[in-house]
Parts: sequence; C-alpha cells; structure tokens
Amino acid sequence: MAIINQATKELQVKIVYYGPAMGGKTTNLVQVHDHVQTNAGNKGKLVSLATSSDRTLFFDFLPIEAMTIKGFKTKFQLYTVPGQVIYNTTRQLVLRGVDGIVFVADSQFEKMPENVESFQNLIDNLTAQRMSLAEIPYVLQYNKRDLPNAAPMEYMDFLLNNREVQVPSFAGTAHKCEGVFESLNMITRMLLQKFINQSMPQYA
Amino acid sequence: MATLPQLIEEDIRQIDEVLLDFVRQADLIGALVVDKGGFLITNKGDTGDLDLTTIGALASGAFMATQTIAGLVNEKNFNSTFQQGEKFSLFILEIDDECLLVIIFSTETGLGVVKYYSGNVATAIARQLNAARERNPGGGFDLSVLNLANPQELFRKKS
Repeated sequence: MAIINQATKELQVKIVYYGPAMGGKTTNLVQVHDHVQTNAGNKGKLVSLATSSDRTLFFDFLPIEAMTIKGFKTKFQLYTVPGQVIYNTTRQLVLRGVDGIVFVADSQFEKMPENVESFQNLIDNLTAQRMSLAEIPYVLQYNKRDLPNAAPMEYMDFLLNNREVQVPSFAGTAHKCEGVFESLNMITRMLLQKFINQSMPQYA
Repeated sequence: MATLPQLIEEDIRQIDEVLLDFVRQADLIGALVVDKGGFLITNKGDTGDLDLTTIGALASGAFMATQTIAGLVNEKNFNSTFQQGEKFSLFILEIDDECLLVIIFSTETGLGVVKYYSGNVATAIARQLNAARERNPGGGFDLSVLNLANPQELFRKKS
C-alpha cells in the first residue's frame, strides 16, 4: 500500500509486473530503465536477483521518481516476480503492499495455457493476502506481438480480459520498447485515479 | 485496500529522534525504518552514498522470505535476522505487522549492544506508527491537480 510521507513530501507507490515465465517482465523493466526520461538522480539502479541463466530468482527492482504533485515527490517502485510455477512463495512476498499490476502475457499460441494459469495464480495470491483484482488496478500487456505465432489480440482478450470489468490491454514488443511505456503510464494513471477517488469526501 | 496511511512531520520527527539516539548509543552506521512492502520510510546515521532505497527493498524481501521459512518449520515467527560481514553487519528487527527496523553497523560494534538497544527502539517506533494509523484512518490525499487525461506526462520515453 502506498506510503505518504508529509515530512519528506514523498508519495511512494509499488507496481508489480506479473505473468508467466519468459513472458518479458524483466525486459519491460530493462526498457523502462534504459529509455525513461528523468532528471538527473531520479532513476535508481535496476537490481536483478537472477539465476546464472538470467531467470528471475526473487525479483527485479527499479526505483524511479516521476514527477511532483502539489509539491510531493512521487516515487515509483517497479518490481517483477519470477514467472516459474515453483516460485509461488516468492510471488506472494513481492505482491505485499502492491498498488498496481501490469500483467505481461506471452502472445504465442502455445503459451495460452501458461498465461491463463499465471492469471489465475495472480487471483489466488491476491486472495491469500486479502486483496482482489476488483480493488487493485491492473492492465494487460500482450507481449511478443512480433512473433509469427502470436495469437490475435481479441482471442487474448477473450482469455484474459473477460471479467466483469474489462481493463486496458496493450500490444507489446518489449525488447523493442513497444507497449512498455503505454502500459506503465496507464497503470500509473489508474492507480493515481484510485487514490483521488479515495480522497473524495464521502457524502451521506 | 485501505486508505493511504499518512505520516505527518511530527511522526517522522519523533521516529527520527528515536533513531538518532539509537545510532549514537549503539555506535551504528545507519538505522532505517522500512515498510514490509519495501518502502523506505525514514533513516538516520552516516550512511554516505549507500543506496538506501534499494537496501530497504532488498532487506524487506529478505526478511519476508525468512518469515516464510519460519512457517515452513512450524515456527510462528522469526522476528529478527542477522547477517555478518567482514566490515559491516546487518540486523533486521520486526517493529510491528507493517514495518521493520534495518540496522547497519560495523563488525567492531557487538551484536549484543545492538540487540540490547533495539528492542526499546522498535517499541517506541511502533507506538508512533500506531498513532499515525489511528489519527485519521479515513483520510486520503488530494491528487486532483494531476491531469490524468494525459498519461504521457507521467513517464516519458527518451526520443
């Protein structure tokens, strides 16, 4: 859950990139790190806790300071989770205190079962922490659109975006930085919008 | 999700005072208060150019992993972890359900000293954090000045 520090004039929020193994979550963070336009010192180091074969072991972490709202510095902490099924405990740990989620799905036809399984796993892990997709803003990124065996966007929407409330979905080719900033900006916008709604006075 | 917790200047001032006393008494390099979700809340000490944001996130992850191990060995809670290096050591202590105290100290400083002082420090910080939570549990934060119609303003890609 976001932290507001009135003393240091900081708002801190946490965004987690979730999805199946080898889907491009870490690539998203690498692209944000390499291409984001920030003032000097506002971009932290990308920390990757990975195995020797570049698979995420615990999480990747990228702190960025984005903007000042009413004199408050807004600090974003971007995390990825390990996609492999066996690392579920780690995924639960990283989800703690999450404010927004980017679900990175793999567009290849043969990866659809893994996408659906990972999405269900996200729902289960949020439930275990007494959260739900009804209250945590999320967006979908259909990655690897450049591959010849990519499934149609409509089909992926049918599989992953058929809940009561449909969420924004983006075509992505993360290694070319396509769809990366679109997803990040949308989830940021959605979670800030949620905070604004929370701040509205309640009328009887 | 509950409304955002807000820490006002008084909260941070009180916590900083406790941390500063702790740093002096136990001769520490640094003491950090970190949310279990990985956010650095405040810190004191002569930490130089250490990347405290990342240390906070990683320390939180490491501590939470240890908690999971506790569950696997049927232990209710490991409320602290300790890592010893050649020059520096790290001691992480649970403050309450939401926060941790991360202590960085020289190996010349004994762990016993750190443990001796840290218990009371954690209690004092927990009291202040609790006061912050209870002060205005329904309060929020006005972000309406932000133009959300244009999300491109938030993160821009280098051209």
